[in-house]
Amino acid sequence: MIEIIETGPFNTVQDLGRPGYRDIGVSASGAMDPLAVRIGNILVGNDDGAAAIEVQTFPFKLRFEARAVFAVTGADGHPMLDARELLPWCTHFAEAGQILELRQPLTRARAYVVLGGGLDVPVLMGSRSTALRGGFGGNGGRPLINGDRIEIGTHSDGLPLPASGIAVVEPAVALDDVFPAPIDGVLPIRAIAGGEHELFASDGEAFWNQTWRISSRSDRTGYRLSGEPIKPTATIEMRSHGVVPGVIQVPPGGEPIIQMSDANTAGGYPKIAGIIECDLWRLGQARIGSRLRFIRSTHAEARAVEQAAARYIEDVRQTSQMIKRALKAMA
Amino acid sequence: MIVTSNILAPLREIVPATKGRARVSFIGARAFLLEAPGDFDLPAQRRIWALSQTVRHWVDIAEVIPGMTNFLAILKETPEDPEIVVRRLVEAWNNAESIDLAGKTIEIPVHYGGEYAIDLPAICEFSGLSDREVVRIHHEATYRVFALGSAPGFGYLHGLDPRIYMPRKTVPSLRMEKGCVTIGGMQTGVAMLTGPNGWNSLGYAELQMFDPTSPTPALMAPGDTVRFVPARIEL
Amino acid sequence: MSAIDLSDPATIAVLTDALIAAGVDGLEITKAGGHLRIVVSKGEGARVSLIGNAQPDFSAPLVAIVKAPMAGRFCASHPSAPAEAEHLPRAVSDKDVIGFLRIGFVLLPIPAGRSGLLTRRLTEPDALVGFGDPLCEIEPLQ
Repeated sequence: MIEIIETGPFNTVQDLGRPGYRDIGVSASGAMDPLAVRIGNILVGNDDGAAAIEVQTFPFKLRFEARAVFAVTGADGHPMLDARELLPWCTHFAEAGQILELRQPLTRARAYVVLGGGLDVPVLMGSRSTALRGGFGGNGGRPLINGDRIEIGTHSDGLPLPASGIAVVEPAVALDDVFPAPIDGVLPIRAIAGGEHELFASDGEAFWNQTWRISSRSDRTGYRLSGEPIKPTATIEMRSHGVVPGVIQVPPGGEPIIQMSDANTAGGYPKIAGIIECDLWRLGQARIGSRLRFIRSTHAEARAVEQAAARYIEDVRQTSQMIKRALKAMA
Repeated sequence: MIVTSNILAPLREIVPATKGRARVSFIGARAFLLEAPGDFDLPAQRRIWALSQTVRHWVDIAEVIPGMTNFLAILKETPEDPEIVVRRLVEAWNNAESIDLAGKTIEIPVHYGGEYAIDLPAICEFSGLSDREVVRIHHEATYRVFALGSAPGFGYLHGLDPRIYMPRKTVPSLRMEKGCVTIGGMQTGVAMLTGPNGWNSLGYAELQMFDPTSPTPALMAPGDTVRFVPARIEL
Repeated sequence: MSAIDLSDPATIAVLTDALIAAGVDGLEITKAGGHLRIVVSKGEGARVSLIGNAQPDFSAPLVAIVKAPMAGRFCASHPSAPAEAEHLPRAVSDKDVIGFLRIGFVLLPIPAGRSGLLTRRLTEPDALVGFGDPLCEIEPLQ
């Protein structure tokens, strides 16, 4: 059991989401940085789908009511256990009564508290993620509030973790050859032209050539961008169709909206482009006010990046198991 | 049949759907949107239903989302050659026989008028009909669920009488109650969530239409027939 | 160099902790004039026997060696942290991480295992080390 001691608004229970129900109007939800949740779960020895706490407003504090293993992934900066600074992206043991505190990250947007055994909230439609719009899933279908108490699941991993923990070279560093770093503070985000791109004529080029800023009216549902508005050459009446996170739609005002994890399942605004899925975690870690630029991508490139990320995940999974087994054998 | 993806398609083929040819475009790397040519009507939607039933069983498909005379296919992984997927989808569309889904019939009791019918006066004004006539036209029609989307369990209903078509509001209501019976353009539906909503409300229904704990969370499914039964008319 | 008093309970405690942390079962030190024996028994802590006068004859400090718990590439600092020149010696406490064994993308933090003064690195940066290879030296604090 953990108890939430201090939380801002909009911190929620999330896992890898509930895709597969968009055809009945249910958003997939899930962590904005799924890579961080995957790695955290592998480190503590959970199943891939175990639920974590997504923290996007800080400071955040929780108290452990029993001994537990945990890792904090996603954000940069050091979490604190009581008064001790901890390594991020690393497993740690907490004793009953200890308090974990997450402070504002240095540059990123979201931290994930992953607990050995996962958060034991009911699985609804295949997921423990909070569906904020639908008001179900996660912790009572709503963001966490002070005083919430959440059960931790049974930790099934048979291999003991070393007392000093197991850590990883985080994705941004390990995969720096496939995820280019920001240039002068501008994050490159790869996208493929969308169905109505041609409709924007020369404004279509303006979309790719300018630097956009993530506006303050951005959340888990979508990021609104501010910049020089882009307009289609004709107004078209579009029929409502299915959309997925990463779709970049342009409402009449001309400032694009990127649908994120809590994306609506249907849309009707012209689509200028769609972000490749493997870049969405980087956007999930981009803060309000930060700048980005879209880079034209291809299916081939998306595939290459996905495969590199998959290899990294598999390497971490295999190697961490091997290390746990080796240490157990030598103990 | 010549296949065109969005990138290669000249401008004149993009504004609105042209005759005969389905258009396929990309949303990111593993989602493909097929838009049916022609009118927004039941025959086109029947082919979309048929297409969904076929494509849903492809081994490389993760998820299909039928929309309004369109269809989003989400692949399990990014394909090596997207043009092959485009060709397969267009071919499946061309081969799709119109099917009529053997849906169930859902009767929804409605309290027409009253405190939730906040847009009924505007509908009357736009249509030039009396409130009594608007309500009668609305509940006398038989509707088909074309697709679900936008909110959990929300069904887009086709079959609205053109006399009571009502454009979406340019400024949405900030807080429309869940259960409001609404008209949006040429469609009607029942609001599933309390919140901002651009459709026009003319009544209220209490029927529970979504339950996340049920094995079949949504009451409505594409192909279902819906009838609105006046439980009370308060004008 | 200063001698270590093996009859000092604090020294014995430090040694005992170090043995437990390192997973070693026991230690015996015999010097002219004294014999120290520490046996770590599971569950009940350590049994210490001191024979003779183990006091001042020790002329060398008791240096502890932190050894690699398995094979890997030893990095003195976290790969994500900006590289900084390390100032030695520096004081460390038992839980402090004095480096990482890097195996693929996984990092195994190496704790100091005892309090003391980290005086010397025994590997080149990013050197490939094997199980039991010495990584660094920690001297007890006076």
